[in-house]
Order: sequence, then C-alpha cells, then structure tokens
Amino acid sequence: MNSRRSHRGGVFPRFDAREDVDREIRAHLDLRAEELEAEGWEPAAAREEARRVFGDEDSVARACRAIAASHQRAVRRGRVMDAIGQDLRFAVRTLFKSPGFALVALVTLSLGIGANTAVFSVVSGVLLRPLPFDDPEELVWLQEIGNHGGTMSVAWPNYTDWRDQSTSFAALAAVNDFNATVLGGDEPVRADGLMVGEDYWKVFPTSPLQGRLTVAADHVPGAPAVVVVSRSFWANQLGGRPLDGQSLEVLGIRVQVVGVVADGAGYPTDTQLWTPAEPLNNSTSRTSHNWSVVGRLAAGVPVGRARDEIDLITKRITALPDEDPDFLATGAAVVPLMDEIVGDLRQPLYLLLGAAVLVLLVACTNLASTLLARGASRSRELAVRASLGAGRARITRQLLTESLLLSVMGGAGGVGLAYLVVVAIRRSAPAFLPRLGEVALSPSVLVFTAAATVLTALLFGLLPALRLTKVEAGEALRAGSRGNAMDGRALVWRFLVGTEVALALVLLVGSGLLVRSFRTLLGEDLGFDAADVAVVSVSLSNLKYPEPEDHGRFYDELLGRVAAVPGAGAVGLISDVPLRDGLANGRLELDGDLDKQAIGAYVVASGGVFEVLDIPLLAGRVFDGRDGPDGEMVAMVSESFADRFWPGEDPVGKQVTGGGMDNFYPVRQESFARVVGVVADIRHRDVGREAYPTVYFPYTQRPYRIQYGASVLVESASGEPTSMAPELRSVLRAADPDIPVRMGSLGAIVASSLGERRFLMFVMGGFSVLALVLATVGIFGVVSYSVGRRRREIGIRVALGAAPESVVRMVVRAAMTMVAGGLVAGLVAALAMTSAMRSFLYEISPTDPLAVGAAVVTLFGAAVFASWLPARSGTRVDPMVTMRSE
Amino acid sequence: MPEQPLELLKGTLDVLILKTLQGGAMHGYGVSRRIRETTGEVFRVEEGALYPALRRLEKRGLVEAAWGVTDTGREARFYRLTPAGEAELSSALEGWHRYVEAMGQVLGAASET
Repeated sequence: MNSRRSHRGGVFPRFDAREDVDREIRAHLDLRAEELEAEGWEPAAAREEARRVFGDEDSVARACRAIAASHQRAVRRGRVMDAIGQDLRFAVRTLFKSPGFALVALVTLSLGIGANTAVFSVVSGVLLRPLPFDDPEELVWLQEIGNHGGTMSVAWPNYTDWRDQSTSFAALAAVNDFNATVLGGDEPVRADGLMVGEDYWKVFPTSPLQGRLTVAADHVPGAPAVVVVSRSFWANQLGGRPLDGQSLEVLGIRVQVVGVVADGAGYPTDTQLWTPAEPLNNSTSRTSHNWSVVGRLAAGVPVGRARDEIDLITKRITALPDEDPDFLATGAAVVPLMDEIVGDLRQPLYLLLGAAVLVLLVACTNLASTLLARGASRSRELAVRASLGAGRARITRQLLTESLLLSVMGGAGGVGLAYLVVVAIRRSAPAFLPRLGEVALSPSVLVFTAAATVLTALLFGLLPALRLTKVEAGEALRAGSRGNAMDGRALVWRFLVGTEVALALVLLVGSGLLVRSFRTLLGEDLGFDAADVAVVSVSLSNLKYPEPEDHGRFYDELLGRVAAVPGAGAVGLISDVPLRDGLANGRLELDGDLDKQAIGAYVVASGGVFEVLDIPLLAGRVFDGRDGPDGEMVAMVSESFADRFWPGEDPVGKQVTGGGMDNFYPVRQESFARVVGVVADIRHRDVGREAYPTVYFPYTQRPYRIQYGASVLVESASGEPTSMAPELRSVLRAADPDIPVRMGSLGAIVASSLGERRFLMFVMGGFSVLALVLATVGIFGVVSYSVGRRRREIGIRVALGAAPESVVRMVVRAAMTMVAGGLVAGLVAALAMTSAMRSFLYEISPTDPLAVGAAVVTLFGAAVFASWLPARSGTRVDPMVTMRSE
Repeated sequence: MPEQPLELLKGTLDVLILKTLQGGAMHGYGVSRRIRETTGEVFRVEEGALYPALRRLEKRGLVEAAWGVTDTGREARFYRLTPAGEAELSSALEGWHRYVEAMGQVLGAASET
C-alpha cells in the first residue's frame, strides 16, 4: 500500500516508518530461517535460531524507526523545495509561452496592487502611524463649545481655569500660532511661530539641542521676551552658530533666542519659533476666543473622563459684567490630538482605499475569467499530465504557482508604481494632506502589499484552478471534444462577468457623483472675479513701524507705487484674502445703540479691492480719499448683512461698530461708523459655503487690523498676474528692503481651496476608468473565447444563410444577459454604498439620477462594444475554413 | 581469538557495508551474510545491528533503498550504493590503508629492534 501511494496519490506520499522497519526485519528473519531450513533445520527451530542471531529485535526496530522517521522528514522538506522549484520553473516557461497574456496580466496586477499600495501608504502614514511624540495616545486637543453647538477657540481665562481646576491632565498648554515677519536673522523671513502656555514643554517633553527650553520665569507677564527656535530655523537663519545672546524681532518685539530644539519637537510640527504666551497676553475676556489648547492626559485617564471634567468646569464659568453671555462657552470638547490633525481625512482616505480595493477586485475577476478561458485551451495539456500520474492536488498546486508568480511580479510592479506615486504626492505637497513626511513605502505598507499580493493570487487563481482540474481526463483527451459554447460553465462566466460589471458600476457611480458635485461647485458664483489678480502678502516690522498709523501710511504709499507698475490695473488692499485667510467674525453694534447687536464678519480693505475683485456696488460708494484717518468713520456692508439687519431699509447712512473685535485696539471714541456703501456678497470662507454677512472698514481708519500683515491685490491688465512679479518685487524692495514677500495669484488660491475635492475626484475618477477598462477587456475576453468555441456553430449558421448581423446580434444579446445581471447587482450595491458618500457631495443627492444613469449607460455601451467586436470578427471568417479545421 | 571475536571499531561497520554493496544491490540479509562469509566470522556482528547502520547510511545519502523481490520470491528491501557512497567508500579505504601502513611501519620497526 505504501509503495502504491508513493507513486501517485496525495500531494506527498505518506510514509510509515514503523511499518517499513517491521517489514524489513520480518523479511530478514524469513530469509534467515529459509536458509537454515535449507541446511536441514526444523522450521520452528530455524525461526528460533534466526531470532537469536539477530539480537534484540525491539531495540533494533526502535533505532531504525527513529533514523527512518528523521530521514523521511528531511526528504519531505527537500521534496517540497524541489517541487516548488519545479513548479516555478514550469510556471515561468508557461508564461513565456504566452507573453501577450503575461504582459496584460502583469499590467493589470501592477495597476491594481499599485493603486492599493499607494493609497495604503497614504492611509498608513497619515491615519495609522502614531504621532511622532512620546506616548502620543495621551495627547489631546481641547476646544470650547458655543451656544450654536459648534466648537470654537478658547478664551485665555477659561484655559487657566481648566489648568488650575482639572485633575485629568499631566499638563495643559494654550497655544496660538502666527505667521509673521522675523527680522534679525540672516535675512528677513516669514516664519511659523507659536505662542505657548507655560506647560507646553511638559505636553511635548524634549531635550534642547542647545541652550534651554522656556521655564516658569519666562512665562509670567512682564518677563523678558525669549524664544526657542527649531533646528532648521537655527541652521538657516542663525547660521547654526552657538547661541550667544542672539536676538530676533518677532511680532514687533525684540526677543532673545534661548534654545534650539529638534524640528517637529512639538505640535504643530512645522513650528519654527516657540515663544511664551504669558508676557504677550493679558486677556481676561471670557468671550475672546483666541487660543487653542493641547494637553497630555495623566497616566491612565481616559479621554471621556477628561472631557466630562473640562465640560463641567466650563459650565461653571460666567461672563464678565460687560460681556455678552451669548458668546460664552456652554461646554467643552476634548478629543485625541490625532483626531484633530487627521479627523477630516479619515472618510476621504478610506473612501479611496475602498475604491482601490474594488479596482483590485475587478482586476482579479478579469484575470480569473482569462485564466479560465486560457485553461480551457490547456485542458489537453492538463489531462495529459493527469493521465501521467499527476494528482488533482498536484495540478492545482501547479496552476496556483502560476497565479502566484504572476501576482508576485505584478506586486513588484505595483510597488514600483506606488513608489512613483508617493514621490509625486510628496513633491506636490497638497495643502490638505497633513503628516506628508510620514507618507512612505514603510515596512508596514510592504507587509500590506505582500498580503494583498498573496490574496490576489488566491482570488484570481483558485477558482480557475479548481474548475480546470475537475475535467475528467478521459473526456478532455478525446480530441475535438469541445462541448457547447456556453456549456456547464455558463454559470461561472455569468458570475465572473456579472461581478466585474457590478464592481465597475459602483466605482463609476461614485466618481460620477463626485464629478457632478465638483461641477456644481465650480458653477457656483463666488461673487468675485479671481482671474488675473496677483496677491502680494506683506507683513511689516513692528519695531520699524511702531504705531498703527505708520502701517497705514506705508500702505498708502505702497498702493500708489504698485499702481504705477507697468501692466498693473486696479489695485487694492485687504486684511484677509478670500478662500485663503480665515474670516474674523463676532458681535457688532448697530445704529448708535450698544444694545442693538448683530453678528458679522469684519474685513479691512481699501476701496480698490472691490474694483479688483469685480464685486458689484449695489448702493452708495466705495471707500476713497475722503475716508482718511481724520475723516468721518465709515464702513461698507455686504448685501446679506444689510438684508439681515436692516431688512427693507436703506442701509446707507446706518451705523455699525467693529464690536468685540476692536476690543484690544485703541479705537477712537466715536466708534460707530457710518455705512457709505453696499456691495454684493462673496464666498469668502469656502466655495461651497454661503456668503457670511460682512462689514468692511477702510484700512486707513483701522490700521491696527493690518499691523500683522495684509495683502495687496493687483489686477493684471495683460491677463497674466505672474508676469508682474519682478516689478512688484522691486517696488516692494524700494518701499522697504526688510519685507519678506509672499506672492501668488488669486486664481491659484481658488484652485487650491478646491484641492482636496479635486484630488478625491481625480483619484476616484482614475480608479473608475481603470475599472471600466478592465471590465471591458474582461467582457471582450470572455466573448472572444465563447465565439472561438462556437466557431463551428457560427460557421454552419452563416453557411445556412443566416445574416452575419443576426449572428452578431445573437452573440451580443447572450453577452448582455450576463452584463445585465451585473448591472442590476451593481446598481443595488452602488445605491447602498454611495449614501456613505453624502458628506463628500455638494448639493448632489447620492442617488443623483444623472450620475447613476451616466454610469449605467457608459458601462452598458462599453459592454456592447466589447462583445460586438469579437462577434463581428467571428462572423467574418470563411465558414468553409472553420468547418474544415474541425 | 575465536572465542573472543573482535569488537568492531566505531565506523568500521559502515565501511564494511559500503564495501559489500560495491558489488551490487543487495538486501539487508544478503549484506549480513556476505559480511559473515567474507570476514570468516572474525568480527562479531549481531545481525540486527546491521539495520540501524543501513538506515543511517541511507539517511546520509550514501546508499539508497527500494523494496523488491528476492530470487526465491520473497519481498525484501534492497540497498544500493549511491555515487556519494562510492566516494565515501574510496576515501574511507584510502584513509584505512594509510592508517594500516603507518601502524605497520611503527609496529614492524618496533618488533625489529
């Protein structure tokens, strides 16, 4: 039985050491006894003597068994390695025999696996990797919750209450980031700075590379201003020289550099300067929400408990006597810092990962059907091998080895593609993607890819392998046994084609929705014309220009010089550039009555801005030369502001203040400004968000609002805003050589504000086009195969006078029945899945009939084409030729 | 000497087996009979002790085995020298000859004085 099994049978013949050894000893004793009998011994005595001279049977048997068993294990290992090597060599030969198929399969797999690897490297780097700080799971982000239910920044005294009254935290620190001109280094630069509360370095413990961190004595009002700089700032701006009392001018204050820390030592990771907040800030307001708060939880404290505690403390806080309680926090939110950084990206990134997986599934289905069709033509080869003694398991393994080889090669190609994508993403540095530095083909990404590769091989290889080896050897060996075109395997074909179509449809619907949404968004009227507008952002030294009026005078002169630049059209100044800078909003007072309040955004501008941006003037006038520092205080309002607060009245001549937003500035006593003009609304915050009611004030009368920076907008007469850059630069240098210049175009700013949506749309679109092509190729392959097998039948039909068109129709109709099932299934799946996309869609329903219809029509059309092509070529063959070849 | 047969030096049995198999494939009993005959019962080898040695040689790849049928129609496990076994045998023989020669010279010289 053993000997028989070792010839054929399972993957590896079973070997029983005990039986083998016992048999051998028995044989020995038999032969010995036989010989003794021949010498004349009695049979019984002969047997006895044979045993005696043999020695201890048991111990011999035991020793032999042990050796035989260990030998067998070694043999088996060797045989497995041999078999793998043999399978591999055979697989390579098989692939080389059909290079066309191999190439298509490799490209398909490389794209499928590459897409997954690339998306997963982003998911892994951005969402999964822990933050690069010690014990990152302890880090949290704290915000206030307003009476509108949304989160908002934190008032300074609220932060100190939290810090002093809570027990859930090892450390809490208020932070406020700023981007400001820094002077005193090797050249004037704009740098990302952070004002930090006392315990900041306890939240982000680090050892300074030079000097020291800030300590308690630096964090008291009136302390000398000091700053800790990042390593790269130190290297680039301080020449990497040992610290020796160097000082910088930051935010108009001279500060001493006391320490250097590693880049990314604290959050935000791109901070270049850390300066104590306490000497700069003496706010006691409970309604001035200017701070963010980072915290480190005490060991073992869950986020929920910290939130409950902070929420409770916040609810006890009451407004100061002169403050509007409407602007007081009603609660607090405490979330892991990770959520604050990447929370918004989870959905879109997982959406893309899901899409990439669908693409890979389409690729698998496609390959499975190709392998099956190819396998049918290999069935003779397989039958021959089976009849030569290869078992089903053996052949299955061979076929799977071929799949695995393809998959591994495709995986390698995929890693190559993903590498290119990762490099491209890092180079283009999309603004919406945080933690970009961590996006890489890390070991965990490669493990994912390896797993995906093996899984892929099983997915597309297993079904064909099992199907093909089921063929009865005798049946397939009989030449000419071809069966009917859509024979017993019809169900498999139907399943494969249907799956492919369904998956592709889901992707097409998803990307169709995104495209529709994006087009709707692009169709929105921003309310301003961004074309041909150059944006020059400027920030002046507050040591050189100590008074707000100095800033005002500087910009007066600068605007004049810019207007004289050749090619410059209208010129204006604005505090916050639409779609780039945030919009400061808050409480304002109306009509000379401090109790009559409104909520609005507060923008400082020059009259020229409305001309540059083509914002229509609806009533009154824009700011002009009359509105100087000594003129009557004036304002302009947006249409929605006027409609909301002065419905049915003429807003021109009404009065408005800057409200709470002027609290910290030395405002002239008569703070009510007279409304001189009404302009149309603009979408300042986001292309997809309605305009916010806005009040505009002239920069000449509120220069303190621009003393940390403002932007000059210049309309290009030539239509090419960047062409003015050299002249603008030299004008600025002439005005003040110490100004770092940031230049761009408003068009680019608008485009960049749509960057995340565009990225999502293009990647999804790319994936669905890929899926569409794969599905089309898959249908083409299946129908070609079917036509090939029906060649004889088609030949007879044509010979008997059937019109070729009717034969084509018949083939296409048969194919469409397979496709139709997939379309129905895909439609159901798409409608179920796209509701999860609601948050990505702008004014488009997840069941948008246009997007769904276009997807169905596209896929249907592609399927008709993919089946018509082989059907037509099938009928073009001379029937006599096909029939003779049979 | 006859009543106290020589104990085989360790490893010597392997060489005896390999040498025996050099003549052609043989089953275990055949090997044991041939050793018995050619050594004139000088060496005391329990017949059973042969088998672990054969299995070890098989494991080392010096011999290979397959079940077959004897002239008398009985089934038996046949052993055959592999090329590796041939090589092992010749190097063992060479080593043995040098050993004997050296010992012979020393012992011969000693007896002459």
